[in-house]
Parts: sequence; structure tokens; C-alpha cells
Amino acid sequence: MSTLFRTDIAPEPYEEAAEYLDGHSATPHPVTLRIDELSAKLEIIGEDIRVRWLLTDIREIPDQAGNDMMVLRERGNTLRRVILRNRSLAPRLPYRTRSAPVTNRLRLTGWAFGAVASVALIIFVLVPTMANQLANFIPPEGERALAEATLDQIRSALDETGLQGVRTCTSVDGTAALKKIETRLTSVMPDAPELTVFVLDHGMVNAFTLPGGYLVFFRGLLDNAGSAEQVAAVFAHEMGHVISRDPTRHALRSAGSIGVLGLLFGDFAGGAMVLFLTERLIDAQYSQETESHADTFAQDLLIRAGIAPSALADMFARFRALGPEPTEMEKHFLSHPDLGDRIASARAATPAEFLTEPVLTDREWQALQGICD
Amino acid sequence: MSENVVGTQFVGKKSRVFWLALKTGMLTVLTLGFYRFWMKTRLRRWYWSAIRPGGYPLEYVGDPFEKLLGFLIAVVVLAFYIGIVNLLLMFLSYSFFQDNFVAYTASFVGVVPLWFYAQFRSRRYVLARTRWMGLRFGLEPGAWGYAGRALLYWGLTLVSLGILAPLMVFRLEKYITDRTYFGTERMHQGGRWTMLYRPMRPLIISVLMLIVAAVLFVAEQIGPGTGLSVLGMGGLLYGYFAFKVNGLAVLTRHKHLAGCSLEMRPSAGAVLGIYALGYVLATFVIAIPGTALFILLLVVQSPDTAAELSLGTGGWVADQSRWVLVAVSAMLYFSIFLLWSALTHTFVTMPTIKHYARTLTLIEPASLLSITQRPRDAAEQAEGFAEALDVGASI
Repeated sequence: MSTLFRTDIAPEPYEEAAEYLDGHSATPHPVTLRIDELSAKLEIIGEDIRVRWLLTDIREIPDQAGNDMMVLRERGNTLRRVILRNRSLAPRLPYRTRSAPVTNRLRLTGWAFGAVASVALIIFVLVPTMANQLANFIPPEGERALAEATLDQIRSALDETGLQGVRTCTSVDGTAALKKIETRLTSVMPDAPELTVFVLDHGMVNAFTLPGGYLVFFRGLLDNAGSAEQVAAVFAHEMGHVISRDPTRHALRSAGSIGVLGLLFGDFAGGAMVLFLTERLIDAQYSQETESHADTFAQDLLIRAGIAPSALADMFARFRALGPEPTEMEKHFLSHPDLGDRIASARAATPAEFLTEPVLTDREWQALQGICD
Repeated sequence: MSENVVGTQFVGKKSRVFWLALKTGMLTVLTLGFYRFWMKTRLRRWYWSAIRPGGYPLEYVGDPFEKLLGFLIAVVVLAFYIGIVNLLLMFLSYSFFQDNFVAYTASFVGVVPLWFYAQFRSRRYVLARTRWMGLRFGLEPGAWGYAGRALLYWGLTLVSLGILAPLMVFRLEKYITDRTYFGTERMHQGGRWTMLYRPMRPLIISVLMLIVAAVLFVAEQIGPGTGLSVLGMGGLLYGYFAFKVNGLAVLTRHKHLAGCSLEMRPSAGAVLGIYALGYVLATFVIAIPGTALFILLLVVQSPDTAAELSLGTGGWVADQSRWVLVAVSAMLYFSIFLLWSALTHTFVTMPTIKHYARTLTLIEPASLLSITQRPRDAAEQAEGFAEALDVGASI
């Protein structure tokens, strides 16, 4: 028989003083922590207390401010805590930083779907439907107030000097020429709406309508138009919007949907930007449809007024020549459908051998282009 | 805890909270805002653990998922209200008043009771998820009662031009405190509402000074009038902090829990100093990405103006594609928000909490030791309405 020597050196026995909170009373119990190496358990021993936690079940409470202590819990038990006033146990806890499992995932998923569905229902169905209905009932003076508020905002937003807003152009001959185009179009309509037409002194190649029959051209559009007929074509298109009260519906709709979107994205850093882009995206979905409607209306009105609808196509072709065709990504954020489709549609609507009766004399056309001088 | 009086320690370093706020803020931006429930939870865990009354840290046990759930519940309810009601209000306002002012006012007024409701629910949730010495805090239900009282006392305060503000502050604080529990033990708010006039004194004196200054201006005494109004404006700022800080201290000194009472002696000047210094510093730092963004946008948008200001039109900016410029602008834009949030946590929120915590003492805390646990409050809405309506501060 030889003497037996143990060659494997047992780890230093772990023993530390700590405090134990039993989760039933507010009294902290002084305890001694030991590790039972055989069962890989932490023994918490004090007066009337003998608790054993598997080392693999022990988690440290995360995001603690003090590095001078450890607050420990057992996985699956939410109440009991061990407060150790040093960090000596950290190396012995393999799953110290693992998280506790999440409960009620099913309920959460249900509410998540419910929330998304109800928000979608409100923004895409309820708000547009109500806006469409209510737009027919809003009295004319209400519509005009809505338009004036919006026009003021647009004028000051476009002004680069930031002083008094973009000015409106009102030369006598230019205004008379514009009125002539208006009369040419309205005279062939059974009950023409009352219109207020403005030209804003700004280089943007665009025109738009506001509630209450407000129709606004930018100087840039007159500068870049090839003929008076092209201006008349845009005029007819914008009147399509006036007839279907698109601007009023749009204003009411944004009153409803912007608030809901703001609610959803909250106030996190830069939420305003995400909100803006989302609003544009939703807006574009509505607008592509209304633009097509306005185009169809314009084609019909132009024929009745003795102007070839191809003038609209010529104007769009000029728009396209001015700027690069938008990429697929950009198209989602633009409210106008593909220009190429609209050009083809306007050309197809023009009857063969259609003869346009000139809208303005050369002199009048020059006066219109110089309306801002 | 066996002594008659125990203080409160505050542990935690500025650098830790800065990185925590910056890191979680970045994740929030990257997840389009959804990480904010985790961000809030983690920051609260950190702040709570830093506060150690009697040497034992508070623990925040709120769960981000329940916050998300509560938020979704609130969204379902509020989306309907905001979408439909705002649309109707806008329609009625333009139809009958030719203006949107009425709609905005009505929409705002309609949300006010809900705002107070949300405030109470959020307090209930936070208390239900706060523990100390292993015991839960809690708040009895009563959110609509709180909203009703808040409307009444706010109304009285506005009608009395602020003279009844102490009544409002005291009654609302008492409503909440008397429904607050630590374990099974109910808290009690003692004292009278008139005791808040003392902390209000600097504010009242400043207002009086401004009134006298106005009289002097009318009497064309421009010199003394200007001097007095400058003094009055400074006093107004200090007076606001004095009322907030000293008012809180007075209210705290009259709170009791079992046989234990609280004592707090914060300094209004110190808190004002923290705010002033913190915000100046934060503004200074975010001015760096702010200026960079401004110059970049100027060069992209209007090269002519940029050239006039001799910022150059070509160089690096002209060589980049549009997407690179958009990406750089977006990064600068978000970095402004992230830095602002992280810096205000580091130099305003944390030092303020630290100051309050360190001046808090418990008198006769031994009676707390025999208190026992209270049942868990599911608080299912969590603080969803507060989150959706943006009630209160960031933590």
C-alpha cells in the first residue's frame, strides 16, 4: 500500500459575507455565501436561512450604476435578491449576464397586429372616406379661409430672403391675357366654378390648386412654356382638381392623418424626418389617382374649348426635358404619376386632324410671359 | 439601518450614463424609434441603482415589452381619437369660423384630461416597478380622479393668476402620496397647502418688481425701470427654481411612512446652476455638428450664397454624389439629437438627481424593516398613454 496523494488541487473555498432580501419583508438578512463545488450551487446561509441556487441559474441585475457591488437573482424567481458588497463572485457565474425569458409574447403579438391594422384602417380608409364626404359640405367661405391660410404658408416658405413672402405678379396686360385663357375654358363648362388665379414670382416650374377655387401658377412655368396653349392645358388640368375639390379633401385628410402618424413614431431623435417621409408616401398614393383624374378632365375640356390635348403632352415633355427622370425610389415620394404615361395618354386623346384655334395673340402671349416684370 | 437617521448615497459616474444614453439612443434611431422602450428601461435601471437610501440601492424591474404593449394599446385608442376627431374639428372649424384656430384649441383642450390621466398611470406603473429592500412600491388606482382634480386645481390656478398655485401643487401631491404604498404600508402627506407660499416668495417678489418696473416705464422713469425689470427677470428665473426645488423639499419633509419620516434639503441655487451649466455646455457641443450641417446644406442648396460668404462652392462637396451628401446630412442631423439627449442626461438629469438624492435622509427608518410585501400590480397599460402623448420628461 502506498500513501495516496491527491494531485488535483481543489479551488480555494469560496466564502463571503453578503445580505439576503427574501422578498417578503424589508429586513436584510446577513448571510454567508459558499459554493458547493460538487453540485455547482451557491449556498446562502444565515439565521433561519438555507437557500441553494444553481450557479448556472444566477443572473446579475443589469445596467447597475455602482461597480462596488453585485445584486443577484435566481432565474425564474422575481423577488429574492442577494446583495454582495464586492464583485468576487462574478468569475464563478457562467450565465451572469443572460436575460430572463420574456412573458406574454402572444398577447403582445395580438396587440401589435391590432394596432397596425387599426392605424392602417384609420389612415387609408376612415380618414379618406370622411374627408371625401365632408369636402362636399364645407361652405365656400370656409374653403377660402383654408386656402388663404395655406397660400400664406407657401408664400413665406418659398421666400429665400425670409422677409415678406414671394410676391404675386399683377401686370395689367398679363392679367388680362390670363383672364382670356380662363374665359376660353370656363365658357364651355355648364356650371363653371368661381376661380381666383394667381401668378407667384418664383422660378419653380409648377402650378397648383388650393381649396375654394384658388389656382396658382409659378412664373417658372410661364417662362418655360412653349405656347399659350400649353399654359391653357395646365390651366385645364388644375381646373380638374378644382372641380373634384381635391385640395379641400387633401387638407382635411392631412389634418386627420398627420396626428396619427406623429403618435406612432413618437418623439425619438429626428422623428420629424421619418414622419415627413411617411406622410409624403401616403400622400403620393392618393395623389397619383387624383392626377390621372385631372388629366382626363383636362383632355375632355380642352377638346370642347377647341384646343388639342396634345398641348398638355407638349408641356409635360418640357417638364421632363428640364429635370432628370426620377428614379424608382424617388417616384414613390412624388405625387405625380410617371410623366411618360401621361404624355402618351394626352397624345392618344387628341383626335386626328384636330385643329387648335389659337388661345392668345402673340402680343398677349408676350404680355402673359412678362406678367412679373 | 439601526441608526436614528440614515442618509442616501448616490453612486454612478457621468461617463457611464453618457455612453449608456448615447448607445441606446443610437439603437433607437436605427430601429426607427422602437428601441426607445429598451432605452427608457435601461436608463431607469441605471438611475434607480445609483440611488441608495440607507446604503441599499433602488431597483427598477420594468420590462421593455410591457412598455411596448402599453404603447400599442394607447395607439389603438388614440389613433381613432386623433384621426377622426381632428378631422371633424378641422371641418367644423373652417365651416363655422373660417379659421383653424378653433380646431386646434378644441383638439388641445380635448387632450388635456387625457394628459393628466396618462401622468397618473405612468406614475402608477413606475412605482409598481420600483423596489427597495426587496419590497414593491405601489400606487392605488385613481387616474380619472386625479385628472378631474388636476383640471379643477389648474383652473383655479389660472383664474387666480397663479396665486393659488400652492393649493394646486399641494392637493395633487397629496392625492398621489396618500395613494402611494411601500409594501403593505401606506404613505401619508402631512402639512397644509399654505406652507408652499414660503418657497414661492422669491417668485412673488420678482413679479411685484416687474409690476413696479412697468409702472416706472409708464411714468417715463426709463433708467430705474430698466434696472428693476432686469432684476425682476433674473428673479423670475431663480424664483421658478426656488418654488420647484424648495416646494418639493417642503412636501418631502411632510411625508411619513409607518413611523419613518423623510427629510430633504436641496439647494435651489445649486439646481439652477446645474441646469444653466448643463444646457450651456450641451448647446455648445451640438453647435459643432449643427454648424457643419448648416454649411453643408447651404453649399448644396444655394452655392451662390455660399460663395458670397466665402465658404467655397467646389471642393469636397462638389465631388460627392447626391446620396453621399444626403447620408452625411442625415448623420449630422441625427448626431445633433443623440448628442443633445446624451449630454442633457450627463450634465442635467444625473447631477440633479444626484443632488436631490444626497440631501435625502430617513428619520427613524427602523420601523420600515417590519413592512411586508404587496401583491404585484399588472399595470397592463404600463405608461403607454404617457408615451404616446409625450407626457413628462425622458425618464
